[in-house]
Amino acid sequence: MEILSKITIYMVFIFAAPLFMGLVNKLKARLTGRIGPSVFQSYYDLRRLLRKETIYANSASFISRMAPVVSFVSILFAGMILPVSFTRPLISFNGDLILFAYLLGLSRFFQILGAMDIGSSFEGMGAAREATFAVFAEPIYFFTLGSLAFIFGRTSMYEIFHSITLGDPSFLVFIVVASISVFFLMITETSRMPVDDPNTHLELTMIHEVMILDNSGQDLFLYQYSAYLKILIYATFTSNFFNPFSMAENYMIGFLVYLCVMLVLICCLVWIETMLGRFKMKSIPQYLLFAASIGILNLLIYSFFRK
Amino acid sequence: MKRLTVQNQRPFETSKVPELSVPEFESEVGQILSEGSRMMGLFAVEASVDSKKVLAVLGNDETSQIYLVKCLFTGESMRFNSFANEYPNTNYFECELAENSLIVPEGHPWLRPVRKQTVILGNIPYEFYSMQGDEVHEVAVGPVHAGVIEPGHFRFQCHGEEIYHLEISLGYQHRGLEKLLLTQDENKRAVLVESIAGDSVVAHSMAYSLAVEALSRTSVSLRASVIRSVAEELERIAMHLSGLSGIANDIGFAIGAAAYGRLRTLVINSLLLLCGSRFGRGLVRPGGVMFDLTEKSANKITENLIKVQQDISEINDFMFSSTSVMTRLEATGKVSLKWAGAIGMVGPAARASGIRTDVRSGFPYGAYRYHSIQTVTLDSGDVYARARMRSLEIEESLGYILERFVDIPQGETRSEVNPLMENSGVISLSEGWRGEIMHAILTGPDGKIKTYKVKDPSFNNWYGLALSVRNEGISNFPLCNKSFDLSYSGHDL
Repeated sequence: MEILSKITIYMVFIFAAPLFMGLVNKLKARLTGRIGPSVFQSYYDLRRLLRKETIYANSASFISRMAPVVSFVSILFAGMILPVSFTRPLISFNGDLILFAYLLGLSRFFQILGAMDIGSSFEGMGAAREATFAVFAEPIYFFTLGSLAFIFGRTSMYEIFHSITLGDPSFLVFIVVASISVFFLMITETSRMPVDDPNTHLELTMIHEVMILDNSGQDLFLYQYSAYLKILIYATFTSNFFNPFSMAENYMIGFLVYLCVMLVLICCLVWIETMLGRFKMKSIPQYLLFAASIGILNLLIYSFFRK
Repeated sequence: MKRLTVQNQRPFETSKVPELSVPEFESEVGQILSEGSRMMGLFAVEASVDSKKVLAVLGNDETSQIYLVKCLFTGESMRFNSFANEYPNTNYFECELAENSLIVPEGHPWLRPVRKQTVILGNIPYEFYSMQGDEVHEVAVGPVHAGVIEPGHFRFQCHGEEIYHLEISLGYQHRGLEKLLLTQDENKRAVLVESIAGDSVVAHSMAYSLAVEALSRTSVSLRASVIRSVAEELERIAMHLSGLSGIANDIGFAIGAAAYGRLRTLVINSLLLLCGSRFGRGLVRPGGVMFDLTEKSANKITENLIKVQQDISEINDFMFSSTSVMTRLEATGKVSLKWAGAIGMVGPAARASGIRTDVRSGFPYGAYRYHSIQTVTLDSGDVYARARMRSLEIEESLGYILERFVDIPQGETRSEVNPLMENSGVISLSEGWRGEIMHAILTGPDGKIKTYKVKDPSFNNWYGLALSVRNEGISNFPLCNKSFDLSYSGHDL
C-alpha cells in the first residue's frame, strides 16, 4: 500500500512538472502587462514536439541519439530520490544525496557531450559555458546539503530533511540560509535569469538553449521535459527546508505548505526575471561563489550555536 | 580652389564641378579631408568603356559646407592612391567604388566586398581574416538569424569568450535600388525611396523630396514643412523606443522591454492618425505632404505624446537606475571619440561617443531651418551612452513636436512640382533616426535623372559596430549590435 502511494506521488510529481513553468510564464506575462499563454502551454509544446520528426545532423554519431535519453532518464531517477514534502521517496538509502547530485551531473554531462558531438561552434561554445559554470555550481550543493549532513550525521536526503525541526532556534536560521543558497543553485542549474535567459533568441548569449539548438522532435521533447523536471526538482528541494512547518506530518497541511512554498518560489522567479537584467557572462562565477559561501554559513552557524 | 562648395539641398550646375585629373583629384580630396571634412559619397557619375567620371562628396559638420570634386579616369586600368590609410572614414567608400566601378584604390589597407559577399574587384575571391593558434576559434553567425531580422553574416575571431576581430559581410538584401530609381517614374520612385529602409521611411522620403524640390525650384509651404518635421520626429521617437525595448530585451530586462514596446505603439499609432500608415508611408512627397493635419488628429496626437512623455520618464528612471541593467550597459562595447571620428560615424551612435554631428543643426533643412533642435552629446561611447542617447533624443523630439503643435502655420499642404532643371545636381542630407542620410541626384540634358546615389547612415556605422566588440565577450555582441541598431537593407540598397 505504501509503495502504491509513493508511486502515485511520484507520477503526479512527474506530470505536474510542465505546469510549474506554465505558471511562471503566465505570471511573467501578467506582470509585464500581457495576457500571456495558457498555463498549460508547456504541455501543448511537449505534445507538438512529440509529434514532430526527429532530425539528426550528418555529423552526428550515436552519442547524439543517446544523450537526450540518458539525460532524461537520469533526471527521472533523481526525482525518485528526492523526498516531496515529508513523504518518503521511492528510493532512499544512506549516501543517496551524493547519488542525487551525480545523477543530475550525469544528465548534464550527456547534454554537454550531445552538444559537442555535432561539431557546431555555437553548441561547443554553449557546452564550454555549461561545463564552466557547473564547476562553480557544484560547491553550492555540497556546501549546503553537505554541511547539513555533517551537522546531523545523516547522509540520506530524507533523513536530513527530517532532522530539521522547529524546536531549535539555530534550525530556523538553517531554513533561511539553506533555502536561499539552494534557490541560487536552482536558478543556475535550470538556466534561468539572471544567469541564463531562457527566452532569448540570441545564440551568442545562450548557455543551455544553445546546446540543444540542433535537436528536434522527440529529442527536443526529452530535453524540454528534462528542463521542466529539473526546475521542479530544485524547487521541491528548496521547499523541503520548510517541511518543519507542516506539523505532525498531516498530509493536508504538508501539501498546503508545499504549495505555498512553490507559489512563493514562482513569484520570486517571476520577479527576478522581470525586474532584473541578466548578469554579464564574466560575473556569473562570482555570483555562484557567493551562493556557495552562503552554504558554508550553515557550518559556521552550527559551530556558533553548539559551543 | 579646385572644388565646388555647395550647401545642403542647394542645386548646382553639373558643369560647375571642376573636373580634375587623377593626381589633382588626390591632392584636392586629401586637402579637403585634412580640413576636417569627412566623405559622404564617392561614386561614378558617367561611365563609358574607356573613361569614367567619379564624383567625390565631402561634408564639413562645422562649416555646414559640402564640397564636390570630380575626377576623370581614363585608360585600361583605372587607379588612384587610397586615402584610407590616412583618413579611415574613406575606407568603405573606396571599397564601394572599387566594387561598383572597378576603380582600384591603390594601397588600400583592407579592400573588401561591400555588397558582393565573396569577390572583390569583379572576380578576385575574398578571404576573411583569420587567426591562427591552438586556442583560437572562429564563430560564424548568419546570414540566417534566429530572430525575425534581416540577413547578414558575421565572422568572429575569438580566443575563448573574447572577440579579437569581427568581420561583417553584407549584401544579402541588395535589390539594385539605385538602378531601379533611374528607370521608374516619379510616382513609383517615391515609393521605392520609402523602401530603402522600412524603419526610416519618413527620413528617406524627406531627403528625396527635398532634393527633387531643390532641383525643380519648387517651394514648399511652411505648414507642409512643419508636418514633415513632426512626422520625422514621430518616426525617430518610435524607432528609439523600439530600440530601447530591444536593448532591454537583450539583457533580459522584461519590464523595460514591455514598457518601451507599449509606448512605441502609442507613437506609431499617432503616425497612423497623421497619414494612415503607422510607418509614415505615403506622407512625404515632392511638393509637400499628401495628408493635412486636422484639428482632431492634432489633439489626439498631443494627447498620446503627453501620455508617452509621462510614462517614459518613469521607465527611464527605473531602467537607468537599476544596478543590474547598468552593470550590463556601462563599459560594454566602447567606441572611443578618436575612433568614432576617424571612421566617420554619424547619428546617435557618433553623438554617444562625443562627436557633435547632426544634420538637423549642422546642415539644417525644412522646418529645422526655422525651429532648431538641440544636439545632445554624451562622451562614454559605450552601450549605456547609446541607449541613454536614444532616451534623451526621445525627450528632445517629444518637446519639439509639442512645441510645433502649439501654433501650426496655416496654408496649403501641397504645391505643384515644376520640371527638373537640366544638367544640374543636388546633394540632399536629412537626419534619420540612425543618422545622416544622403541622396545625391544629377540630371542629364533632358531634365531626366541620370545618377541617383543613396547613402544610409548604416553605411558609416557598421564598421563602428565591428570596432565596438573588439576585446569584448562574444556574449555581449548581440547587445552591442542592438545598441547600434543598424539597417541591412539601407546598407545593401
